[in-house]
Amino acid sequence: MSKWWALTMRELKSLWYSPIGPIVGGLFLFLQGFVFWLLILILNDPRIDPTWNMARLFFGGFFYWLSLFITVPTLTMRTFSEEKRTGSIELLLTAPVTETQVVLSKFFGAWIAYALLWLSTILYFFVLRAYISFDWGPVLTGYAGTILMGGMLISVGIFTSSLTRNQVISGLCAFVVLLLFFSIGLLSIFVRDPEGAEIIRYLSLPDHINDFSRGFLDTRPLILYAGITAISLLLTIRALANPRWRS
Amino acid sequence: MTTPAIEVQNLTKRYDAFTALTDITFSVQPGEIMGFLGPNGAGKTTTLRILTGMISPTQGTVRINGLDVAEKPLEVRRQIGYLPEVVALYPELRVSEYLRYRAQIKSVPGMQQKARVAAVTEQCALGDVSRRLIGRLSKGYRQRVALADCLLAQPRVLILDEPTVGLDPHQIRQTRELIMALGRTTTILLSTHILPEVEMICHKVTIIDRGRIRAVDTPDKLRRGAGGGSHVRVQARADAAQAAQALGALPGVARVTAHSTSPDGFAVIDVEPKENQDVREAIFKLAVQRSWTLRELAAQRASLEDVFVHLTTQEGEPVAAAKPA
Repeated sequence: MSKWWALTMRELKSLWYSPIGPIVGGLFLFLQGFVFWLLILILNDPRIDPTWNMARLFFGGFFYWLSLFITVPTLTMRTFSEEKRTGSIELLLTAPVTETQVVLSKFFGAWIAYALLWLSTILYFFVLRAYISFDWGPVLTGYAGTILMGGMLISVGIFTSSLTRNQVISGLCAFVVLLLFFSIGLLSIFVRDPEGAEIIRYLSLPDHINDFSRGFLDTRPLILYAGITAISLLLTIRALANPRWRS
Repeated sequence: MTTPAIEVQNLTKRYDAFTALTDITFSVQPGEIMGFLGPNGAGKTTTLRILTGMISPTQGTVRINGLDVAEKPLEVRRQIGYLPEVVALYPELRVSEYLRYRAQIKSVPGMQQKARVAAVTEQCALGDVSRRLIGRLSKGYRQRVALADCLLAQPRVLILDEPTVGLDPHQIRQTRELIMALGRTTTILLSTHILPEVEMICHKVTIIDRGRIRAVDTPDKLRRGAGGGSHVRVQARADAAQAAQALGALPGVARVTAHSTSPDGFAVIDVEPKENQDVREAIFKLAVQRSWTLRELAAQRASLEDVFVHLTTQEGEPVAAAKPA
């Protein structure tokens, strides 16, 4: 446990001190600042319904997905690829730590960074709260859904990073998987079979976020996230134990 | 017999079509400093990586203090300090931060972490740079940070892959002194190209070439053995051919090699005695008898370099010998 924590803290420190952390963080906050400005513009419109669901404006829009597409691959692409490229993985894996500890620390390091970025935007809602009244429920389920879904996407990114020493390839693979989850809903137009359509809807992330931002924290997508996270992390541990992908 | 600190048995490592190690067996006794010598690509680093559990062998076993690396990887890693060939640290951390982190993951008890970091910082002379970013350090300092990291958990076995490569002469001397000092309490397996280093530091030497062990012995015995015995270098003012013939006729002389005559008229001749006989007195008497002016009469030991080149070169096909130190 203490080793895992030391490893996780090292991940966060390296992220914070390396150029990638502040750049991604800055970009994220810039995008979200822009979103906040848009929110205020919309709320200033006298024609708007004051009972409008704030969370639906915030979660699931264009900038929401843009932020997600930028942060997830950049936070995960370096985790294993960078260590393999420089060779620091050798000192890491010959220390008395298990592969599981290493993988979990990299996952939690990236996930904590991701969660902190999103949670920093909760400040906007406190500011807005001073001027208008809104329901906190959908806001909180929106954050919970965003963070849990992020965990799944990050675990996939960690896995792709464990397979290559090239950060660009690793980031690109994570990006493609994210894109698939994002756009799978488009397929439902072509699927006549109602069961097939059901499966597609089950995998479609925009549909989930739509639910979360209306205050529904359904367990079905959460099971999907937990399952894929667990599978990705297990695969990463296996990859790390395999000589081909070890260094 | 005591359990060897490092015991390698019938180690074989194959990559698809390429065999890196073939049936390697050797052991290092507790407290020994074993030099691990071989040309580039001989399989040194592969062996060390197997010892540390970084890669696994195709066949064979490795035991560290009696523990099988494959069965108890964590316990084994706890007892090893490993300095890899390529020292890659986290450039964005400060030296003290890095050592603290390594102490944490090497299960140094929380109470002792600070003291251990301070101790290895002192041992490796890192006091001046402990607040600096690792990425801004020179290669020599980074090497020492990695060495300090090796010592953090007070391991019983140190595995050092070319610890002095890239250091300046001062640092090389300091590092060698440190290794010798550590060798009093720790078992050390030291891979290197630098032959004088081995003669200076190591109690025993394993020579490896193309994945096979060529010799395991003390540096002294190796010199006396395989690489051709010692010889006597003679410089005398005489006709080289006649002198060589006369020297060759002496009792106890096995072979005579005449080199070119020096510009000032001295013949340079190497005399190889039979089985470690001392022929110097006989040579001197011969010189007096023939009234040669004798300028040099010196017994010369075969260097470890000769042994190395001899053992790692196959007939008719010279292998790239050691990198220049």
